[in-house]
Amino acid sequence: MNNRLRITATLHCDLLIIGSGGAGLRCAANVLDKRPETRVIALTKNAHPQKSHTSTAQGGLAAVDPGDPEDKTIYHMFDTWKGSDCTADQDVIKKICDSSWEQILWLENRGMHFSRNPKGKLSKRTFGGHTLNFGETSAYRAVFEADRTGKGMMDTCWGESLKRNISFLNQSIGTELLFKAGRCVGCLVFKLKEGEFIRIFSGATVLATGGSGQVFKITTNCRQNTGDGPAVALQAGLPMMDPEAIQFHPTGMIGPGILASETLRSVGGILRNKDMEPFMAHYAPRMKELAPRDLVARAIASEIRKKRGILSSDHKVEHVWIDLRHLPDAVHEQQIPEVSGFFKKFLNLDPKSELCPVHPSSHYQMGGISTNAFGEAQDHLQRRVPGLFAIGECAAASLHGFNRLGTNSLLELITMGKFVGNKVLAYLDHLSKEPTATVDFISFDRFSQYLEARGKNKIGQIRIDMQELMTENVGVFRTEEGLSKTIDALRELKDRADQTALGCKSLRMNQELLQRWELDNLLTVSMAISQAALNRRESRGAHFRDDFPERDDAFNHHTIVIMGSFNKVEIKKREIDMSIFKAKDQHFEKFDFIERAY
Amino acid sequence: MASHYHITLKIRRYDPENRRSWIQNYHLEAGRILRFVDLFRKINNEQDPTFSWNSSCEHGQCGTCSVKINGKPLLACELLVENAVQYFNTPVFNVEPLEVAPVVRDLVFDLTKAYKRIDQVKPYVISPANPPSDQDEYSISPNEMKQYINATRCINCFCCSSACISSHRNFLGPNAMLASMIRVLDPREKEKAQRLKILYGHRGVYRCHSSRACSFVCPKEIDVAHFVALAKAGRFNDPNNE
Ligand SMILES: Cc1cc2nc3c(=O)[nH]c(=O)nc-3n(C[C@H](O)[C@H](O)[C@H](O)COP(=O)(O)OP(=O)(O)OC[C@H]3O[C@@H](n4cnc5c(N)ncnc54)[C@H](O)[C@@H]3O)c2cc1C
Ligand code: SF4
Ligand code: SF4
Repeated sequence: MNNRLRITATLHCDLLIIGSGGAGLRCAANVLDKRPETRVIALTKNAHPQKSHTSTAQGGLAAVDPGDPEDKTIYHMFDTWKGSDCTADQDVIKKICDSSWEQILWLENRGMHFSRNPKGKLSKRTFGGHTLNFGETSAYRAVFEADRTGKGMMDTCWGESLKRNISFLNQSIGTELLFKAGRCVGCLVFKLKEGEFIRIFSGATVLATGGSGQVFKITTNCRQNTGDGPAVALQAGLPMMDPEAIQFHPTGMIGPGILASETLRSVGGILRNKDMEPFMAHYAPRMKELAPRDLVARAIASEIRKKRGILSSDHKVEHVWIDLRHLPDAVHEQQIPEVSGFFKKFLNLDPKSELCPVHPSSHYQMGGISTNAFGEAQDHLQRRVPGLFAIGECAAASLHGFNRLGTNSLLELITMGKFVGNKVLAYLDHLSKEPTATVDFISFDRFSQYLEARGKNKIGQIRIDMQELMTENVGVFRTEEGLSKTIDALRELKDRADQTALGCKSLRMNQELLQRWELDNLLTVSMAISQAALNRRESRGAHFRDDFPERDDAFNHHTIVIMGSFNKVEIKKREIDMSIFKAKDQHFEKFDFIERAY
Repeated sequence: MASHYHITLKIRRYDPENRRSWIQNYHLEAGRILRFVDLFRKINNEQDPTFSWNSSCEHGQCGTCSVKINGKPLLACELLVENAVQYFNTPVFNVEPLEVAPVVRDLVFDLTKAYKRIDQVKPYVISPANPPSDQDEYSISPNEMKQYINATRCINCFCCSSACISSHRNFLGPNAMLASMIRVLDPREKEKAQRLKILYGHRGVYRCHSSRACSFVCPKEIDVAHFVALAKAGRFNDPNNE
């Protein structure tokens, strides 16, 4: 073992939060609000909590205002259920939708700068999939802060935690959960700047590490979203639920992967291939560009597969065009100024006179660490794992099933953050004494292996190969053949990764060492996604199998993946909670396995 | 314009193990719309995996990738190769970390330490006024919000702090002043006295000597100097705002 690896300190706290995005800090703020003396430590891999991915969410935050004369919580619940392609859990939907407005008020009362209407009250906007009266018309249900809703939320949750004496450990990664007699008692932490391992013993531990978008080549996600949370959980023998459910946005801008919003198509933007053909007519003759997201994403991917894409020589990706040149100046200036601005800023082109390159962009991971409706982590038999909780994009309770509605995930962060905070307090009440036990861990073995490995492979190249492989075969289109091939190829990539000598052996702020660890996480999550996708021989929500294009009732269940090791993956099932349907209250029939058609 | 450029990045590197600092030259063949973060990644993937740099969202929303290019603080994710060549009129670029906090390695500086200045102005509502009722939000008219909403767009990239000569000494810095002013103007904040004390205290706005460098470099195009000037003119001391 590498003799420079040592535990340099052992810290004790009541609550350890691994990941200081919106979810983690909403939880921290709740705990500290209710019980200010709680000792809370929050980790972030980023340089600072404010740099978390939550800060980049733009659009809005869904919640039914009880003062709204038209909108009702039951409609929001229905939209979420239908949107999920009937794979969300109804107990979770109900809990979250019921407490949504209360949480908006929490944010507002604590100083979030929501956009206002002329009367000074919160403005609301519409979002795809949110409707009144079970699909009749669009609902104005999303509150927002201009085009920076996530930032407003992040600033508020961070500020509220800071105010209450939280201890932040920035640029510190949770590498491994610690267990004692089946109970999670903390985490091993590697402090990147100092290059030191520390051990944190905690009464309760919350995983809130965010998404895993970096699995794919084009993503809207930030650089830190490498699926660490699910990988750490899988490594601890805990299951990941529905990893195959990944949402792609049809039109990500080449390069930064940022969303070129849906609006571009609704104002009349036309998708074209390399022969300038408006190809949507072949895929959706009636709706064309206005067809649902997933259909458009598949149409774009099909064109690229059929060699009708264009290669970006700068970013080395194939793409199609979105043509906005025919739109009147007024549309450019009044209806799509932000997106036009992004094309100008990041691609140096003028959408008024030039074609804009787009490609489906991986956007959101619906699945994650398996939890119950209270955010308590579960093992594969759905037994609670004492002391361990998971929230936010890294977790699956599940609110989103196989397809997330826009604006529902920010809502999930604040509501589940609060619920988990309450659960943590109750758990701490019943915890007898501080765990000071020594526990086993494997991180040193892993890091030693990274530092001492030999071989000419390059981490960057392996990551690129993995992203290309996943984008090609496990992206918007999936087939038995492609998935099987991918699983074999992932094993090879893992072998290559293990034979990679690092150029820099220092422990302090060694970006290469971090990337090596992240690569293992990305490969682990990729393997879980691919195996689950192979197993699910149907199409549902964002998971589309070319060879099984319909939804199949035989798969009306969640996927549970456990990984004994990288090469040993087991797939199990978890029942979908149908409690709203089973309660037989008014409108219960809307919560059956209905068709997801718009 | 050319489709490709031969670029030289002269990167200031720092190794914390032996506290050695040096300039390393990297020669790159770069497409015209690659951004500087793409160039950094290209260096990692093709030439030198040991070079460290910071970023997160990589689309100008988080303020993590701030660097100095030919002396100008900016976001590396927003600088395209062809714009850089044109703006600086050269294909050779000096790349350095911002000096607002100690450097950890290469271009990575210690943002946690830089943020200490923001923490000092208490970037939250210290003492919230009572909302109209439990079930209600505050009413804040769009006109009232207009006074400070631009300041809330700040992403704490610290470019302004880097450009501001005063903030290298005792001044908390332009972005800290913005964070402070927001809550002075926010009608939901009751605790105005403490706020004004920070704003007008010995590390506050009077340290500014109106060079406007902050507004010039802000990637969010916030007129930071304007806000600071308003505060210096005593605008926020107005009893109507208390
Ligand atoms: C461009 C874009 C726009 C979006 N717009 C919307 C929208 O309008 N509405 C909506 O509802 N949703 C939106 N989303 C989705 C939403 O932003 C995310 O799902 C949500 O912010 C995730 O929050 P989180 O708290 O779970 O994780 P994050 O905010 O990603 O935070 C994760 C935290 O964990 C830390 N971390 C990661 N790994 C480790 C580790 N190993 N150890 C320690 N810390 C770690 C990170 O540093 C970070 O602090 C959008 C997403 C994108 C990409
Ligand atoms: S105007 Fe004031 S705050 Fe801005 S850079 Fe100059 S001295 Fe600093
Ligand atoms: S005011 Fe502008 S330059 Fe200064 S930190 Fe904020 S965003 Fe950056």
